[in-house]
Amino acid sequence: MPRLDRLPEASRKGLLALPVQVNDTTPFVRPARPLAAARLALVTTAGLHLRSDRRFGPGEQTFRAIPSDTPAAEILQSHTSIGFDRTAILRDLNVTFPIDRVRELVARGVLGGLVREAYSFMGALREVAKLESESGPEVARRLRDAGADVALLTPT
Amino acid sequence: MLARVLEAHGIATTSISLVREHTEKIKPPRALFVPFPFGHALGRPNDAALQHRVLTAALDLLAAPAGPVLADFPEDAEPGDETPGPVQASAVQAAAAAAGDAVAETKDVLRAHARWLAVHGGRTTFGLSGIAAERFPEVVGFLQRFAETGEGDVAGRAADVSLPAFVRWAADDLKSLYYESRLLTQPAATGAEIARWFWGETAAGHVLRRVRDRLDASEDPRWKAAAFGVAR
Repeated sequence: MPRLDRLPEASRKGLLALPVQVNDTTPFVRPARPLAAARLALVTTAGLHLRSDRRFGPGEQTFRAIPSDTPAAEILQSHTSIGFDRTAILRDLNVTFPIDRVRELVARGVLGGLVREAYSFMGALREVAKLESESGPEVARRLRDAGADVALLTPT
Repeated sequence: MLARVLEAHGIATTSISLVREHTEKIKPPRALFVPFPFGHALGRPNDAALQHRVLTAALDLLAAPAGPVLADFPEDAEPGDETPGPVQASAVQAAAAAAGDAVAETKDVLRAHARWLAVHGGRTTFGLSGIAAERFPEVVGFLQRFAETGEGDVAGRAADVSLPAFVRWAADDLKSLYYESRLLTQPAATGAEIARWFWGETAAGHVLRRVRDRLDASEDPRWKAAAFGVAR
């Protein structure tokens, strides 16, 4: 899904009741380079972080940096909502955070490279004002400094 | 809306969307809607070919001349036999045997989990509570007391982690130990089957149902929020 019409009724109603931003326009920039020359940043809202890092609390609008060469064994997910099936990420981090797949694309020459750090935010945020005014712009600045051309965002 | 923030600051973004209805309203610059359950953004775990198809479809959107772009991933199949929504405790009838000795059961699970770690190069989703796995029989004892009285603690709980937050992390860690251990012997089991086993057949599941009830009985919204995260 989750196609909403296939979710249990309680889940469907809960999702549709969530406050969702409604926008009329969309910021849009063309990538500066073709993919084969572009440096990609992974950004996730799955609440991932280093095992040694501070856990996310519910609703927290901060971010964590994850060095792109971090072994999967050193990554934890403190977004543990029981609204999703955790057995998927438990079997394979790539199902949420496709770090191995992206490395494979770089090795094949499909992507120019991977920036040195990925960034992670908490999922299921109700309030996003600080993300929009502080933590989001800060991550954008870090990504630009790291030479990122494009970013792939993944949820959980 | 994070994609919009990054894009507004000059980074071209492409996103994976799990709820098309929300994405239509938020209007990120480029999004690929995927017909997969929550927790399965890239499709199926350990299916690199499917993950690559999803990834390529998302990256292809970067060639669009204008946006917003909301595309649909063309594979309209459930990944494996997963149910669209996760199986919750309230949907599972607990077997009588589930009221057994949770501490002894956890000791058995820890032995199996050591094999999981060996097989998976140390990768585990366990570790949120900050308490070492070998102390989890003690943590289960704490959870049992907490379920009965709403009180108790575990030596080593970080000072900046509140008691309800700690109970939630401990419950998450306990689930990780059990789920990963189960997957070791039942690698083809679906997430729904693992959840039915945990809530229906294990003493730990029985303890966590009672922990949920204790948290939910509180008037404190932080306790109620923790209850919602332990079991529904």
